[in-house]
Amino acid sequence: MTALRAFLAVLLIAAASVVVRPAVAAGDADPAASAFMQKLGNDAIDDLTDPAVPMPERQVRFRRLLDEHFDMPAIAKFVLGRYWRTADETQRAEFQKLFQDFLVGSYSARFSEYRGEAFKVSGSNAETGGTVLVHSKIDMPTSEDIRVDWRLRGRGGDYAIVDIIVEGVSMAVTQRSEFAAVIQSRGGVDGLLEALRTKNAQSANNSAE
Amino acid sequence: MLHSPVPRRDGLQPEGWVARIHRGAVMAAAVLGLGLLAGCATPPDDPDALAAFEEANDPLEPLNRYFFELNYAADELLLKPLAGWYYVALPNFAQDGVRNALRNLRSPIVLANDLFQGETERAGITVGRFLVNSTLGLAGLFDVASEMGLEYHAEDFGQTLAVHGVGEGPYLVLPLLGPSNPRDATGLVVDMLFDPLTYVGIFGGIDNIGLGAGVVEGIDTRARNLKTLDEIRKGSLDYYATLRSLYRQRRVDEINNGETPPEGVGPDFDAAPEDETSERPAPPRKSAVVAAVASPTYVTVPVIDAPAPTAGPRIVAPTSFIKEPTGPTPAALEP
Repeated sequence: MTALRAFLAVLLIAAASVVVRPAVAAGDADPAASAFMQKLGNDAIDDLTDPAVPMPERQVRFRRLLDEHFDMPAIAKFVLGRYWRTADETQRAEFQKLFQDFLVGSYSARFSEYRGEAFKVSGSNAETGGTVLVHSKIDMPTSEDIRVDWRLRGRGGDYAIVDIIVEGVSMAVTQRSEFAAVIQSRGGVDGLLEALRTKNAQSANNSAE
Repeated sequence: MLHSPVPRRDGLQPEGWVARIHRGAVMAAAVLGLGLLAGCATPPDDPDALAAFEEANDPLEPLNRYFFELNYAADELLLKPLAGWYYVALPNFAQDGVRNALRNLRSPIVLANDLFQGETERAGITVGRFLVNSTLGLAGLFDVASEMGLEYHAEDFGQTLAVHGVGEGPYLVLPLLGPSNPRDATGLVVDMLFDPLTYVGIFGGIDNIGLGAGVVEGIDTRARNLKTLDEIRKGSLDYYATLRSLYRQRRVDEINNGETPPEGVGPDFDAAPEDETSERPAPPRKSAVVAAVASPTYVTVPVIDAPAPTAGPRIVAPTSFIKEPTGPTPAALEP
């Protein structure tokens, strides 16, 4: 009897705590940024995931998306971290090009795996430093939803993406850590450029097959 | 108010677990000492290289890379094939059943850590889930509670330590267990003490039941990540460094319960490289944990205070590299 009462009490508390919690915890500090991201997400899904589109065309489209809606110069500079300062102009220019090719090579193939998951923007936060974090969820039919945050900042009257954070993991930070490790082990920025060249050549071969 | 559902075994009294953390720390120190002899990296002389070395916070990198390779081989030879077999042989609903049951068995560990972190609301959810899923969910095979709005969350003692201000320490790759650090490795050991399966094993005469559950969990988790890990490996120039960064960022996210701090501090995409912190420091989720536990009306409003770097509890990703710029002024560094 006491056990039953305790059971019911606990259930009640648990249920109450769920009711108390607001449905959407995050507010929407920058609705314009949220709207931008929802539209961009929908457009990108239409544009990139169509299985009828051949791989080279998909890569062209992804490259265009990066140029138009990602702040690639800022991202390239960020991921090179402290080595940006020591790199000379030629190295910087080559890094920017190789880095973009690297992204295109690594990610283009994944868009073909899209299976109609819904992309829903849920709100946004202003951040110190002038960036906006837009929160979204990708509904997975067979597994748990994936939480994706997009870090945007203003560029020429519009927004541009500077980072994608998947379940708390920042792509930019991860990339920077990795590149720093490569620069360390290969003795400098030229070593990283060489590694990127090799990797990009591999991806090009794979997608040509 | 209900009686606190914390299991009051002797070993779980505050003095007890503090002592155990202590012992864990000593053990970790011993492991560290051993590692220092075997595989310590020498800090480089060049200032940039030194900064990178400190940022990586991985003084045992050679030893860690050795275990990483070993784990990778074990994965390729054993875990991945097993996981692949499991993935193919078991229909989706059966895999979900396995995971649900394992999660249900973990409830006491999650509950203990919810409570140690002062998360009364989440503790209520954990208890509610356990009761609902153990009964209506047929011994945990079905996650009925999620349908009722009681969503699953994980907690572990590594996170509890972090919430109470314990730093992660240097990166470690544990044999077979993979990425970790002294704090999280200590947490693994303490969580075994919260796990009823440990005692079922010891006193119930069922040998290795906890180990068995752990192995099944490992296979299930691996099966769910077959594609993801392959893609990460294929897409990286240095798989080890990528996973090291992923592990740390995931842990910070888990410690913050997946919540973005209201006043977020993003990496500065404009700053001179010297000013940037590599992994985003998370502001402290709360400071007065004791007060929170004492107060029954505690709600999860983050108490953001500004502790002195050495005093208050802070959940921060690597801090050792966050330094004042020593060279020329940031403006002079701008390209």
